[in-house]
Amino acid sequence: MAGLPRRIIKETQRLQADPVPGISAVPDESNARHFHVEVAGPVKSPYEGGTFHLELFLPEEYPMSAPKVRFMTRIYHPNIDKLGRICLDILKDKWSPALQIRTVLLSIQALLSAPNPDDPLDTTVAEAWKRDELGAIAQARQFTKEYAMGNKPPQ
Amino acid sequence: MKRQLSDPASDGSDVSEDMEDDDEYAHYYYDNTDDLDIDKPKKSDDPEYFEYTILQVEDAERLLNEEIEALCSALKVPPSLAKMLLHIHDWQRELIIEKYQQDAEGLLVESNINSEKKALVNDKDTLTGSNPACPVCADNYPRDKFLGLTCGHSFCPNCWDMHFRVQIQQGVTMGIECMGQKCKVLVPESFLYSVLTDSKLRDKFSKLCFKDLIQGHPKLRFCPGPNCSVIIFAKEPRAKKVECSLCKSTYCFKCGIEYHAPTDCDVIKKWLTKCADDSETANYISAHTKDCPKCHVCIEKNGGCNHMQCSKCKFDFCWMCLGDWKSHGSEYYECSRYKENPNIANESVHVQAREALKKYLFYFERWENHAKSLQLEEQTLQKITSRIQAKVMENEGTWIDWQYLLNAAALLKKCRYTLQYTYPYAYYMDKGGRKQLFEYQQAQLEAEVENLSWKVERAEITDRGDLENQMDIAEKRRQTLLKDFLEV
Repeated sequence: MAGLPRRIIKETQRLQADPVPGISAVPDESNARHFHVEVAGPVKSPYEGGTFHLELFLPEEYPMSAPKVRFMTRIYHPNIDKLGRICLDILKDKWSPALQIRTVLLSIQALLSAPNPDDPLDTTVAEAWKRDELGAIAQARQFTKEYAMGNKPPQ
Repeated sequence: MKRQLSDPASDGSDVSEDMEDDDEYAHYYYDNTDDLDIDKPKKSDDPEYFEYTILQVEDAERLLNEEIEALCSALKVPPSLAKMLLHIHDWQRELIIEKYQQDAEGLLVESNINSEKKALVNDKDTLTGSNPACPVCADNYPRDKFLGLTCGHSFCPNCWDMHFRVQIQQGVTMGIECMGQKCKVLVPESFLYSVLTDSKLRDKFSKLCFKDLIQGHPKLRFCPGPNCSVIIFAKEPRAKKVECSLCKSTYCFKCGIEYHAPTDCDVIKKWLTKCADDSETANYISAHTKDCPKCHVCIEKNGGCNHMQCSKCKFDFCWMCLGDWKSHGSEYYECSRYKENPNIANESVHVQAREALKKYLFYFERWENHAKSLQLEEQTLQKITSRIQAKVMENEGTWIDWQYLLNAAALLKKCRYTLQYTYPYAYYMDKGGRKQLFEYQQAQLEAEVENLSWKVERAEITDRGDLENQMDIAEKRRQTLLKDFLEV
């Protein structure tokens, strides 16, 4: 791990020693800035029972710039698009160097519990969510069953 | 080169005088034809009159510094703070002074210069031990190395330096915030300079900062011309026409796009977006040729004038409506008026949609047609120039004798330009008396512009007095329309 900033080393250690409930983040063997993340679908959300794979990358400027995070598992959510990109303020203009990988992942977990169709990334999903919330939730549950249950991590 | 670099705060009421400085002979030529002096708007009841000054970067810098110093001395605050206050509050010095005198702390908190949370101020206790770890990089430093703003969030100098580096690279300058989570406290320039050591980055910061300040200043605007570096200063910022003396581009001071009187900034933006969106239909209608309504020979429009004469059958007709030109005297000129279906409210959605498209196409076709005519008029101007050249060579009068032709061409261009921009205005206008009046005046202007265009294209056989008379009429029509409808 030569050349890796102390901050990243410390964060990695803490993620292993004191993991967040429902979230695991493991650095890639060949690149310590690349994390394989698994987030369990929050209870009482349409994602309950699913395991969602994400990738998280710490850019050169981290922690001055936000980590790059992407869903690898398909998900039906108004703030996450087909490519797995996430619309979350702290990943963009609200990023602060005082935030950590841990806080980012917690925010993503919270986003699964509370979708925000008023600030959409996928407009068709967001529209469905606003027009017929029950139908949209059923669709999200269907996606969870189809893509996020019994799935293996990519590669 | 006209360039007025003197103190922009000076009266400047004589701008029209100064603007002629680039051409000393102008007075000599134009003295007797004051009402034709088309490019020099007079202050007295000219709806398009606009006072502005062209500044070089150094002049603009000086202007900003003067404003900053004035606030510094009024409030007894450091320049770095005064700069932030001015930038955040749109350079409204009086308002800032008033608010500051009422409640200085409140203003500073509201402006995100000071932190609301008093408890944290100057508190380094969030860092434990004598050699605490920086919350960002997790490296340990002696306590006294830590730096922070009024919010009390403290970080090591390396992290601040890195933070500034990344922010400047992203183009953020006046808006750089503290690194604390959800902390909105802004970083003053003085703090940044005390931390940032890289001289290249300091330079970049100061340049970007200047850009940010100019863009945020309501009375200043960068010339949008290609590679033009000057800055326009207007004491009373309005949506009026600016012509850069350096790059010669003309634009609206307020929105920076092409000048658009009598239409206002919001409407022209809406119109241009609409035109861009509907370009497919626009392509369809922007055919360059039409058939002669009488003999059906295919005619290409090669001049700006809409009064057409078929070269084959000599039929005079209107390019817009293909009707007989005889019905286009100024009394009957109706080509510019869109006739709405009076029964529209009772029609089906389908018919209404078609009617809406028809209405748009009507206005778009006229807008586009005048734009094309303007380009063709440019060619006419070149033709006139070479014709004058030839005449002068053959001793048919002197260069001065033929100047009126160039004036006529320039005036034609100006009138047609305004005419073009009346169409988006009319499109978005509500039905009613005012629209009727507008369309009446528009029709009057259009008729006179076409007359002028016809006469300019046939300048040799047109009597000079007749042409100058026509110029006067066209410009009067233009002025009348602008006086009544240009929102000042």
